[in-house]
Amino acid sequence: MTGKTRILMSLIYAAFVVYVFVPLSMMVVMGFKDSKFIGFPIKSWTLDWYGRVFQDTEVMSVFGYSVLIAIGSTLVSLLIGTWIAVLLAGRKFFGRALIFSLTILPAVVPGIISAIAFRIYARLLGIEPGMMAVIWAHAVHNVPFVVLVIVARLSTMPTNYIEAARDLGADPLVAFTRVTLPYLRPAMIGAGIFCLLLSFDDFVRSYFLGGYQPTLPVLIFSKLRSGMSPEINAISTIVIVLTAVLGVWAERSMRRMNGASR
Amino acid sequence: MITDVQNQQKQSSVSSLASESGNAGQGPGDRIPFWGRVSGRRGYQALVDFLFASERRQFALLAGIPFIWVLTQHLGPVLQMLYVSFLDAYPVAVGAQTHLTLKHYLLFFEESVYRMPFLRTMTYSFALTFATLVIVYPVAYFLARHVKRQNQLAFLLLLLIPFWVGEIVRTFAIMILLGNNGAVNLLLKSLGFIDRPIPFMYTGFSVSFGVIYLTSLYMLLPLYSALEKIPASYSEAASDLGAGAWTRFRRVTLPLSYEGVASGCTLVFLMSTGFYAAPVLLGGPSTTVFAETIAGFFHVAGDRWPTGAAFACILFLASLTITALFMKFMGRLSSRGRR
Repeated sequence: MTGKTRILMSLIYAAFVVYVFVPLSMMVVMGFKDSKFIGFPIKSWTLDWYGRVFQDTEVMSVFGYSVLIAIGSTLVSLLIGTWIAVLLAGRKFFGRALIFSLTILPAVVPGIISAIAFRIYARLLGIEPGMMAVIWAHAVHNVPFVVLVIVARLSTMPTNYIEAARDLGADPLVAFTRVTLPYLRPAMIGAGIFCLLLSFDDFVRSYFLGGYQPTLPVLIFSKLRSGMSPEINAISTIVIVLTAVLGVWAERSMRRMNGASR
Repeated sequence: MITDVQNQQKQSSVSSLASESGNAGQGPGDRIPFWGRVSGRRGYQALVDFLFASERRQFALLAGIPFIWVLTQHLGPVLQMLYVSFLDAYPVAVGAQTHLTLKHYLLFFEESVYRMPFLRTMTYSFALTFATLVIVYPVAYFLARHVKRQNQLAFLLLLLIPFWVGEIVRTFAIMILLGNNGAVNLLLKSLGFIDRPIPFMYTGFSVSFGVIYLTSLYMLLPLYSALEKIPASYSEAASDLGAGAWTRFRRVTLPLSYEGVASGCTLVFLMSTGFYAAPVLLGGPSTTVFAETIAGFFHVAGDRWPTGAAFACILFLASLTITALFMKFMGRLSSRGRR
């Protein structure tokens, strides 16, 4: 490869990084502007918007509500996702390809269709719109991501681990809890954080399945529809910081696992 | 990690031996682990003997919950949506009879009010998928081929962090960027290109910009993993045989990355057809997409749910058909390249 194309390619990469970061940094900057009016130029700076966010009991309760939903749905997704992954990574059986495609299905259904389908099905199941409905929808939607991560991890596990445990007298249940589960731990942490983020940031399912109490993205959406305010910037900035911290944590957990398996 | 598991295996072997010889927990200072104590109990032994008696019973235990979950929770909602789309009324009133009907589907073909948003969604999704591919391919190529392997993760992580931030927050960021007092207009003004701000917002441009911003990661990851797999020696071999940079790319690298192109485009296309919040916030009356049309049926009382369900089915079916055709086309393209 010639030096010229190399320079051109790195410029394209740099431009893409700028493209990805500029909108978010603009938003963060606006959260510190000392004026109700979003836009340039910025004459003076303030931390007032953050103070307001932390005093706003509505925002705080919505935040707690979203965290509860994220944790609840993540626990369900992890349990079911790991279970399905262990089944799919095990020995072959009739219909495995079909079960695998059905497992992936919720991840590929376009957002609005997924939300509508869940809304209709919730009524069939008798779940009223509200916290339980949102937890359920998020849990189902996030299962495929857990399965993909766990199946990838299981494929790197030598089968003789289990055989050794069985030879030493462990029954299948003990072999699973004492050998497979510890081996899966980093993958489960990574998948779990991923689910937390997906649930916490999800809008379309929370919007169509939520009751009167909004989740954080739904609250931001309705605030945006009634007009922009730097308070939304402050809320969004807090969300970005939380997301980045959790995301880097998940990435480190997954990377450590990839490094260890080599 | 490996030594960890081995330790645990050692422990579990010790504990099961201990429980078999019947003197569990009697060694001085020798704590028997939890599972060792449990597996020593007679009731547990009986339960395990019963549960794992045969291969078939073991499989049933393992597969039961996943089968039920996948069928009722993953497939169920889609099937129920399909069923409701054929009902004349839903939810069913007490004591009323329901009839199967095709009228909700016919409504779509009769009213041009609904056809326009549908066609717009399809053309937008198609064009935006292509635009995302063109924008992201060089980035993925640079990451996979020009960055040192040990730095690749860091370079990728830099791009991943912003994409973990949710749809709404990122859409809001685009609103600020493109607004009349946003950074783009400010930059153009200070450079002297314009006197008055360009109204980017609430147009097809702002929606497109926003959707590409939301989807590019889903293009980047499949492309990167496909390109990363291609050995550098292939290009070197082509170069030894006299191929120039462009020929090497067109005849070697590009065909080998078709798999990534296919899965990236499929993902991005399916996502683009389903966006709701981004078009609502970034678009105007002239950019109504089909997702907004569908959502409209669910804001009012339940009696229009079947229409909404039918429209959602139409959208799903159309996007799946286009995706399948595209996959077939890509398959043919790559098999021709191999010959």
